[in-house]
Amino acid sequence: MSVFLDRHTRVLIQGITGSEGSFWTRHMIDMGTRVVCGVTPGKEGQKVENVPVYHSVRRALADHPADAAMLFVPPRFTLDAVLEALDGGIKKIVTVAEGIPLHEALIIRSAAREAGALVIGGNTSGVISPGQAMMGFFPYWIERVYKPGRIGIMTRSGSLTNEVTAMVVREGFGVSTLIGIGGDPVPGTRFAEMLPFFQEDPDTDAVVIIGELGGTMEEEVAREIAQGRFTKTLVAFIGGRTAPEGKKMGHAGAIATGTSGTAAGKAAALEAAGALTADRPSRVGPLLKSLLEGVSR
Amino acid sequence: MKLYEYQAKKVFQDAGIPVPREITVTEESAAAAAAREIGFPVIMKAQVLQGGRGKAGLVKAAHDEAAVEDIFGQFTARGVETVTVCEFVDFVKELYLSLTVDPLSGKVLIMGSSRGGVDIEALAATEPEAIFRETLDVRRQMPAFLARDLAYRLYEPAAPELAKIITRLYGVFRAKDAELAEINPLFITSRGTVVAGDAKLSIDDNASFRQETYIPGRDYYGSDAEFQAAREGIPYLQFDGDISLMCAGAGLTTAVYDLINYGGGSVANYLEFGGPNYRKARRAMELCLQNDSKVILIVTFGTIARADVMAQGVAEAIKELKPDRPVVVCIRGTNEEEAEKILRDAGLDPLYDTEEAVARAIELSRGGKK
Repeated sequence: MSVFLDRHTRVLIQGITGSEGSFWTRHMIDMGTRVVCGVTPGKEGQKVENVPVYHSVRRALADHPADAAMLFVPPRFTLDAVLEALDGGIKKIVTVAEGIPLHEALIIRSAAREAGALVIGGNTSGVISPGQAMMGFFPYWIERVYKPGRIGIMTRSGSLTNEVTAMVVREGFGVSTLIGIGGDPVPGTRFAEMLPFFQEDPDTDAVVIIGELGGTMEEEVAREIAQGRFTKTLVAFIGGRTAPEGKKMGHAGAIATGTSGTAAGKAAALEAAGALTADRPSRVGPLLKSLLEGVSR
Repeated sequence: MKLYEYQAKKVFQDAGIPVPREITVTEESAAAAAAREIGFPVIMKAQVLQGGRGKAGLVKAAHDEAAVEDIFGQFTARGVETVTVCEFVDFVKELYLSLTVDPLSGKVLIMGSSRGGVDIEALAATEPEAIFRETLDVRRQMPAFLARDLAYRLYEPAAPELAKIITRLYGVFRAKDAELAEINPLFITSRGTVVAGDAKLSIDDNASFRQETYIPGRDYYGSDAEFQAAREGIPYLQFDGDISLMCAGAGLTTAVYDLINYGGGSVANYLEFGGPNYRKARRAMELCLQNDSKVILIVTFGTIARADVMAQGVAEAIKELKPDRPVVVCIRGTNEEEAEKILRDAGLDPLYDTEEAVARAIELSRGGKK
């Protein structure tokens, strides 16, 4: 098992014929992802990596039912692509687009919630269940990062995810599912909203959160733990503890003002709820190890 | 994209929101002429993008022409390029009204208070209940009933006029792809009319393809380097320490910044050359070399940006720029084996552990062995 995506998940790819779309379609398939169809308006009848392409999501789904949609669509067309996937009844959507207009990000989040769907992203590398399937673009061939295992990971970052995950793997662990929540101010799905899935997953022993200053997502996680809705081990790394106030450091979603949104405030909230926080990436693995001692992995 | 007050006022005015009479000037003689035209006393406001101008002495009243010239000189001495000369508004009350986004609900967040003015942040901290909060689905128009209800909560005697302003400000917020649209203070004048005493408008950079472009001036940035880097799309922050950061990825760069501070080192500059900038190694190093730093620290762990491409960029930058200080490299990710070869050929000693690289940079910054 895993969270959000496994080797059985049937994936439709929107924007499959573009250079980025076709390149990563090949890697998604190589890694084991079950890609069933693709969509690019005007390109019906073509094939990409032997995957049939259709003009629209409705036309693609008529021939190939799908569980999830992967969007390789430019940011300004992302809202429409999300609405098209939702119209097709797809409940899991990943968008890697960097630069989705803010007001459209609000509409994406609202529309997904109304449809009971999860939109992951934008401004993310996507979702990967190592050894099973991937939606997005991860260098899954780097074995010291993308090793299968029993630790769930959620992150707001890209490069830092490689850094921290490598430290988790170095201690002998691997990853059940890694979810890139993304670095935008209004992500489609928030950390706390994915926690129930990790809580239920029998193949996830613990969750690592890679957060940073700005926003309230880490505080929301603390609340879930404090209220007993998430009971597994949770370790968080939060970047920007020494960032000067008011400076725009980190992602677009990251700016601390006053006491709200500071990395120190987030760490304190998580610690108070019973989670552990690592002040540096290399501490994440050892902390997990100390907490999971005796638990098989 | 933050607009200057005079630019935001123009947008608000075009949308039918009343603003005081004002003239924007860049020269002393024009300031005096503007004041004569408007009539004394006037309020002179420095056009800078920082908040808290009143408390910083960047908003001042002038009662005669000599004062106008004196204040204009004070402002320009502080690097201010543009000044507005405003009509004095005789107000009886200051309200607060702002629109922004609430990421959790995914809606527009409307905030207002009958106690606006320069102390709004203190009010938010000490009496948050004095500021009302309302959310609205961004796909909706402002419902008339909601505008009325909010208007009554702001200031009952002027509710009909306030309802119009709320609706118009929401129209601006939507039409301009705003991150923030704020009026503070929103004056109730002694004649009972309503007028926007200030205007803040920040437009989403991701919507710049369909919005008019406003480019912040040099005054917005703390240094020439920050101004220059911003124009080239390179995230850059100036500090005054010893280690120049040249890293890829916002999250990783921030983490390295922390590690340097934990280790007792000091940062000269924060610079990201990842993502779309991953082929800009030369320019990034040039910016670093403008500092008095003692060492350049390069840390990457790319997802799409290939390690060998970044290493090649670094090697070429070193060859061309011949840096006068040591360069510590920790470049990982796809094709890192080829990257290693490239870096060794360039005379560097590549590292693979971030914390080891940080430790070496700190040691070198203290004059330790190379």
